Amino acid sequence: MKTLKKKIESSFDNINITVTDNNMDISIDKNGIVTLLSFLKNMGYEHLALISCVDLPDEKLLEIVYILSAYMENDKKFTEKEARNIIVKTRIPRDKANFVTVIDIFENAEPYERELHELFGIHFQGHPRLTPLFLELEYKIPPFRKDFDTRKFVKQFFENIPAVE
Amino acid sequence: MRELELYFGPQHLGMVGNFSITLKVEGDRIKKADANPGYLHRGFEKLMEYRTWMQNFPLVCRINVVEPDHIELIYSMGVEKLAGIDVPLRGKFIRSIYCELARVGSHLFGLWAYSNMLGFDTVAQWAMYHRDLVLDLFEELTGARVYHIYIRPGGVRRDFPQGFEDKIISTLHSIGGKVPDYNATFFENRLFEKRAKGVGTLTRENAVKWGAVGHAMRATGMKYDIRKIEPYAAYDQVEWEVPTRNEGDAYSRLLAIRDEMIESVHMIFKLIDKMPKKGAVYTKTPNPFQWKIPAGEAYVRCESSRGELGLYIVSDGGDKPYRVHFRTPSYSHGLTILEKVLEGESIADVGNIMISLYVVAPEIDR
Repeated sequence: MKTLKKKIESSFDNINITVTDNNMDISIDKNGIVTLLSFLKNMGYEHLALISCVDLPDEKLLEIVYILSAYMENDKKFTEKEARNIIVKTRIPRDKANFVTVIDIFENAEPYERELHELFGIHFQGHPRLTPLFLELEYKIPPFRKDFDTRKFVKQFFENIPAVE
Repeated sequence: MRELELYFGPQHLGMVGNFSITLKVEGDRIKKADANPGYLHRGFEKLMEYRTWMQNFPLVCRINVVEPDHIELIYSMGVEKLAGIDVPLRGKFIRSIYCELARVGSHLFGLWAYSNMLGFDTVAQWAMYHRDLVLDLFEELTGARVYHIYIRPGGVRRDFPQGFEDKIISTLHSIGGKVPDYNATFFENRLFEKRAKGVGTLTRENAVKWGAVGHAMRATGMKYDIRKIEPYAAYDQVEWEVPTRNEGDAYSRLLAIRDEMIESVHMIFKLIDKMPKKGAVYTKTPNPFQWKIPAGEAYVRCESSRGELGLYIVSDGGDKPYRVHFRTPSYSHGLTILEKVLEGESIADVGNIMISLYVVAPEIDR
């Protein structure tokens, strides 16, 4: 794990790495994300477990989180690499939420990016189908952002439905 | 030949759960498949941000209807990791036994769905009956049959009742005694072989590329199991094997499920033998109404009966989670792999492939 940390630190600038017991956290500038993810994939971390997003309204940022882990190389022996998760984080501005897609690197990123587009309003450039995944209605504020007022929505939406006699 | 658009589900005999697929077909061959989830989207991850750490338990277990236990486990593991709580040894053993029972129950439910879909009604009835025996055990242990809310941060809610270990053993013996019958009527049946062999084949390269986990990965020959790679609960305390198959089709996925069930039963016997006979089953946690967890974030994962289940959880130092995101195995199985594997298969095999991949709709929608 230390050698991997050194390797990443020597090939990327503006990068911050912390290693905890079972995880490795990498924070990187948003321009370096595609190169970093393909670098990690070539290092054997080829399982994209999750793409998530955390809304940070106070800092006017959205944090996008990629979680990678490794499949097994050797079917008989478990190596240290397989027990590790790599958490890659990057931050993008909240009001102009545009980002690049990583489908070219990980094919199973497609539904995750669709979900984030729908629930957090992030537009992934180069994504082949950013169509609605779960939701039926269109919302002005994407519903999973912190400033989406659920109580107000419920009031507006259900108040106009007449009671069943 | 003319190309047609067909809607498969959500009301369809071959479809389990609230999920649908739009198929573009030519004759009876599928040219393109589009999965449409969302019939069960209740926004759990958003709702959880409005409830305290303990209040979230009745929500999380509804993410997977068939086996809520692993979702309880992963949420507890996430909270424990954030708050720095340890689980006592007896609590760890009870968690493992409980989760393996849940795996057996869930696989039996899967076997019911699959055999019912193929028209093996007898096998389906047996599987449902045997799952019910497992549910009876859960009822005695927790008071509920389906949503148990038994695992809690710090351990489990209560100790095993007196003589419960013997009951587990006798129930599992009575289910295990039926395995030769299951083999003769279903797993070694030529009809099952004809319907399942070579259908929905997933090669190792594609499985890696599309993010397969769980039995779908193990059916391609890789011993990928989080219980071995990153042991949690008491899985590092006993010896056990990861059963694999090599062909990667629906047939080998089903056999992988059967072998896993048998391995789970053996594992439960070993865990009961090795379990400490006395001791605490949970660590005390603070008053749930005033429990604040230090700011931080954690990613934890476990092996549910469908595959790798993960949880990314963020705390801002308050009494509620700031952000929760479940990485469920059905998500990539149902949205990526299913769409790609269905191309070129026949319409009659859609349910066959979908159930053999073990797709559960509530896990996708959350």
